[in-house]
Amino acid sequence: MDALIVVFVTGLISMFIAMAKKPALVLATAVTGLSVAIGLMVCQWSHPYTLVKYEGLLFDHNAIKYSVLAMSFALLVIVGGYSHFKKEAEHTGEYISLLLFSTVGALCMTAFTDMFMFFLGLEILSIPIYVMAGSKKRDVLSTEASLKYFFTGSFATGVLLFGMAWVYGATGSFKLAEIQAAISLGTAQGALLNVGILMMMASFLFKVGAAPFHFWSPDVYGGSPNIVTGFMAAVVKLAGLFAFWKLFTIAFADANAVWGGALAGIIILTVLVGNLSALRQTKFKRLLAYSSIANAGYALLAIINQDSQSQQNLFIYLVGYGFAIIALIVVSLVLDNESDDIEAYKGIGRKNPFIGFVLVLATLSVAGVPPLAGFFGKYMVFSSAFAMYPILVIIAIITSGIGIYYYLRFIMTAMSSEETENLQTLKPSVLHYIVLAVCVVGLLAGGYISL
Amino acid sequence: MELFVIPLIFALVAAFAPKNVVRYVGLLGAVASLVVTIVHAISFAPEATVSLVDPNYITSFGLTFKMGYDGMGLLMVILTNVMVTIILLANLNQKIVNERSFNAMVLLMQFGLIGVFTAMDGIMFYIFWELTLIPIFLISWWYGAPERKQVLVKFFIYTFVGSLAMLLSLMALGTYATDFSHASLVAVTLSAKAAFWVMGGFFLAFAIKIPLFPFHTWQPSTYTVSPMAGTMLLSGLMLKMALFGMIRWMLPLAPEAKSEMTCLVITLGLIGIVYAAIIAIKQSDIKRVFAFASISHVGLIAAGIMLFTKDSLTASFIQIINHSLVAVGLFLAAGILENRLNTREFSQMGGVAKLAPKFAFWFAVIGFASVSVPFTSGFIGEFLLLKGLYGYNWIVGLVAGTTLVFGAVYTLRAYQLSMYGSPKIEGFKDLTWNEMLAFFIISVIIVVLGVYPQVVIDFVGPSLDNLFNSMQASNTLVP
Repeated sequence: MDALIVVFVTGLISMFIAMAKKPALVLATAVTGLSVAIGLMVCQWSHPYTLVKYEGLLFDHNAIKYSVLAMSFALLVIVGGYSHFKKEAEHTGEYISLLLFSTVGALCMTAFTDMFMFFLGLEILSIPIYVMAGSKKRDVLSTEASLKYFFTGSFATGVLLFGMAWVYGATGSFKLAEIQAAISLGTAQGALLNVGILMMMASFLFKVGAAPFHFWSPDVYGGSPNIVTGFMAAVVKLAGLFAFWKLFTIAFADANAVWGGALAGIIILTVLVGNLSALRQTKFKRLLAYSSIANAGYALLAIINQDSQSQQNLFIYLVGYGFAIIALIVVSLVLDNESDDIEAYKGIGRKNPFIGFVLVLATLSVAGVPPLAGFFGKYMVFSSAFAMYPILVIIAIITSGIGIYYYLRFIMTAMSSEETENLQTLKPSVLHYIVLAVCVVGLLAGGYISL
Repeated sequence: MELFVIPLIFALVAAFAPKNVVRYVGLLGAVASLVVTIVHAISFAPEATVSLVDPNYITSFGLTFKMGYDGMGLLMVILTNVMVTIILLANLNQKIVNERSFNAMVLLMQFGLIGVFTAMDGIMFYIFWELTLIPIFLISWWYGAPERKQVLVKFFIYTFVGSLAMLLSLMALGTYATDFSHASLVAVTLSAKAAFWVMGGFFLAFAIKIPLFPFHTWQPSTYTVSPMAGTMLLSGLMLKMALFGMIRWMLPLAPEAKSEMTCLVITLGLIGIVYAAIIAIKQSDIKRVFAFASISHVGLIAAGIMLFTKDSLTASFIQIINHSLVAVGLFLAAGILENRLNTREFSQMGGVAKLAPKFAFWFAVIGFASVSVPFTSGFIGEFLLLKGLYGYNWIVGLVAGTTLVFGAVYTLRAYQLSMYGSPKIEGFKDLTWNEMLAFFIISVIIVVLGVYPQVVIDFVGPSLDNLFNSMQASNTLVP
């Protein structure tokens, strides 16, 4: 049996089990299913395989690596968010199964070998998120987030499809390998291809939230329930960036002249916009959104620099980023603060030193302080891009320096000696502790996979 | 290996030790580390380079994990261990809110410092360099004066941005070198333009940490708001990382740009010497006096390092050690005054000498070293540095020489205002045994080095020769 199918079936089963109104059972199903899927995936490491009778999906080493990471992040988000699901016991099944379906999409996006499968994966990934973003039905902001994400997302998908059509017109194929061959042999139609590639890139940049296609992301991140925000930042971004890498370094590698310059400009804009806008944020999730825009910019540096290392660098970057984001989101779930103000985190470190420790660790990792995983990711990406794009790297480093200000401000708020009243209810469950501990291990040890 | 693992282990132990013994656990860790270092030092041949970690493995991006020491490195490790021991000793009788985290952080700091001084790989150096920032920030954040918040954010951002510039330089060097080990980086020959930018990046990081003149604005306020131990660590050890970094990393790695940078750095150093000294004279806050005094003194050391001859570097090492001792001693005195009087203002001090004669005596000994009285280490260091600068250019030597005059003025003024005059206070507890012991150790080293500086010269001389030889071998030395 295939890991992809396991995750999908687990999603289905958890939806039906939810009728028993026992959230714990749903959680157990989801955890078992994801663990089995991760195990299956790991066992497949030595023999890459395709889906039976159809070659649109190929689980090679890269795909397995990213799939396992995506499923692990999904698992952490589900376990960490459980206490929150439980509050609306009758909806637990839907929440968890939607997250699992979305994970299926992420797997398709890591393993696709033709654009058709990629498109399917993207839709399977996105549609549950559109729903999840609006799952706080009575909350205006959540509804806004859902609608905004849906409209702009659909529009981006439209552009993507249109771009695919152009590329198909230019090269005569949906398959990555054939597109690559057509471009390198020069049999592709130049103008058609260029338009197609740029349209596809625009839609990708929308999905990963790079400036100037980022306007949706603060509102959507800010309005969605925290769990969904965490899932978007960790899993959706991972799938989007890896698919981006795959398409542009495999299929469109030889058309580098077309998109390289545009992407370089976008990276500069993204790291500047992300970091500068984050400076004055007062809401936690909006801060996270801008920080994730900036981080998308740094990750794009790994894509623009197409050497043999770039895939590995992107992976390390995403490992560090994902664990940090999940840790921060779980902290925000523990705090369970309606207003989402950064001020509400005041004194959390004094009230619960372990949570304070995790928060400091995660924030410093995103800021890129050694020897945490985030530092290694940033370092690998920057240093291998330095030879080709020194100006980009210098700008990226300067903006990281700017970034340290808002990360530090957040840490200081959390570690301050004053306490606010909302901390009275700070009661992390065992599951929270487990997820946070896993994240700590990931943050401390994650960088060393680069060695 | 055991050199830097011991502080780390004790840091972990201290984090979980029972509350009433944790301060002794911390001190024990520092002493254990000191003893191990001394064992290393006894079996050490000065011309050797001892490898501590060398897995003989190069990662995909060129990290080699190499750690080791030569004479210079070992000297700095000994200094670190002695100073951390003194700092923990002096803090034994302090009331500290959470002693576990305090001791753990000081020992973590020690771990980072030893790592910085023994790193033989550019990336390892960078990692340990950044690692030291977190414990010192937390020590000052948790235990500092009430007005600390703004100040410490400025400090963190300032130093972090400087470090990023250094990282950029390392990356740029890495594109030319096979890996990041010190030997490979030294072997790189750069074009003059590239070398200028590489050295510029290192210089920015080090100039902020030292701090040199236009980059010093974080320093006085940070020293002032930090608790006693924090200030002692900052002034006694942390800035030495940067001076050591100039000697070990900045100049050997990009010597092609040395001629361009020498003039600039010496000028900045001279401005710092005079400017900071004049400001120090007018301060009304005792910690600020010593903070500006520190800027003035290190300006001289940085100028001396830039000459990059064997004599000037040896003199710089003597002065680095001397400055460490003096700064730790002075800030210990300032900390004692602050903690017992609850003020740092001269206007509310005076007459302490009558109430606490022992304190007055030991404070005076440290003060003498600060004004470079003969037979103290301060005299040897400053004399040799000034001699070198005279050789470079007599005007430079003349301006730098004013440090002796200014040094006497601000140190004696601070001493006079705090210790003599009409008593404005009642009851001042004289030194406790641990404070006395701390002062005693510092003073003994000051006098020993002042009488017999050959110890340091023997230690660093051969390793400086090695450094010059390796630079010569790669045709990059332009002496």
